[in-house]
Amino acid sequence: MITWLPGSNGGPSLKVNYTACAICDSSWGDLWEEVEGQRLFFCCEVCAVQFRNLVARIKVETGWPTVDRLTIAGDRRGRNAEARHGPAIYRCEFAYNAQGGLRAFRGSTG
Amino acid sequence: MTKCPACLERFGLGDYSALAAHLVAQADASDSGHVRWLNQNISRQKMPARELEGRLRAFFDLEGKPVSVWIKDRFIQKFYGPTPHPFPVALQHPSRATLLGYVVEHQHFLRQWVRSCAFIMARTDEPAVARYELDNLNTEFGGFGTPAPSHYELLLRMGESLGLDRAQILATPPLPSTAVGIRAWNRIASEEPWVEAMAAMHSLELIANRELVQHGATLRYFDPRILQGTEVTHETQAFLREGYEADVGHSDEALELVEQFSTGPGQREAVQATFLRSADLFDDYLVARLERGTQFEG
Ligand SMILES: [Zn+2]
Ligand SMILES: [Zn+2]
Repeated sequence: MITWLPGSNGGPSLKVNYTACAICDSSWGDLWEEVEGQRLFFCCEVCAVQFRNLVARIKVETGWPTVDRLTIAGDRRGRNAEARHGPAIYRCEFAYNAQGGLRAFRGSTG
Repeated sequence: MTKCPACLERFGLGDYSALAAHLVAQADASDSGHVRWLNQNISRQKMPARELEGRLRAFFDLEGKPVSVWIKDRFIQKFYGPTPHPFPVALQHPSRATLLGYVVEHQHFLRQWVRSCAFIMARTDEPAVARYELDNLNTEFGGFGTPAPSHYELLLRMGESLGLDRAQILATPPLPSTAVGIRAWNRIASEEPWVEAMAAMHSLELIANRELVQHGATLRYFDPRILQGTEVTHETQAFLREGYEADVGHSDEALELVEQFSTGPGQREAVQATFLRSADLFDDYLVARLERGTQFEG
């Protein structure tokens, strides 16, 4: 299961069904999609694709079966994330193309 | 006439109420183009149509300034603001991969550029505009013989100097964002009024305008020091220098023509919207240059 924190509020509270986009924190749009068993709000399809691509890449890079928690920060010019699986932490920096594909990705464990 | 900056749908002159209702309806349908425009230009915070109407009115208000100044300000905010576009950031001291990404995608862009300028020429009645576009076509594509090859030729030579075969450059299909841009620019140039097409195309030349730093840009297109020394190839210097020296007066002149020929009711509003649409396409296209560049890394 993914739980997540939107990048800009930075707060520690876990928000499910929070109606701001899981990628860009926008409250425009009305797209709900299930990712890793959890229904998440997205402002548009591009952000939903971005989110799926990010989770898939983190799983490939880490070998984790799931991502428990994902905190995304930054803006459309470049974002970074901290992912957790149990006690393990994985950090990455990434950027997308206009279709929502990852055009750049750099990760580090620690 | 007011136009939607995300899809160019037309609304009545100054009818920001209808435009706001349209944007809200498209956003409710999670349309990515409209949501993106709202996120990047108005707010990421959803608001009712009535409130959005006021925000739109303020956003498009020229405040007595020429539309060319408004375009320049918006362009700077978008590409050279506090978080500048990553392509010029990479171009400050470019890697071989960045330059090759530039070459491979930009040869497609320049071929469309020629078509767009030709459409403007064909559709205008104004001799000053025809002369301007003719000069542009010669500089960009025709060239002036051996002493002054076209910008297109200089681009291909830059690619060759970095080890990429000309035939291979020309045979590589564009990335999706480049292809989307080309289709949209072709439609704008052939179907929207020529003065809007002119604003849409020539505003993009502001990217290389070195005087933008005097108007608040946080960055130039590239660090001009690379035009000296051996950091980049001689052919790269020749390509970059051409744009560096040409585009200042060039983009200014085009925007002055836009100013001069968009005096009819609603023409400036339409110019503003069409420019914004083109700027979004250009933003994605510049990212495609970087994306292509990653293929040449390592
Ligand atoms: Zn979003
Ligand atoms: Zn629209």
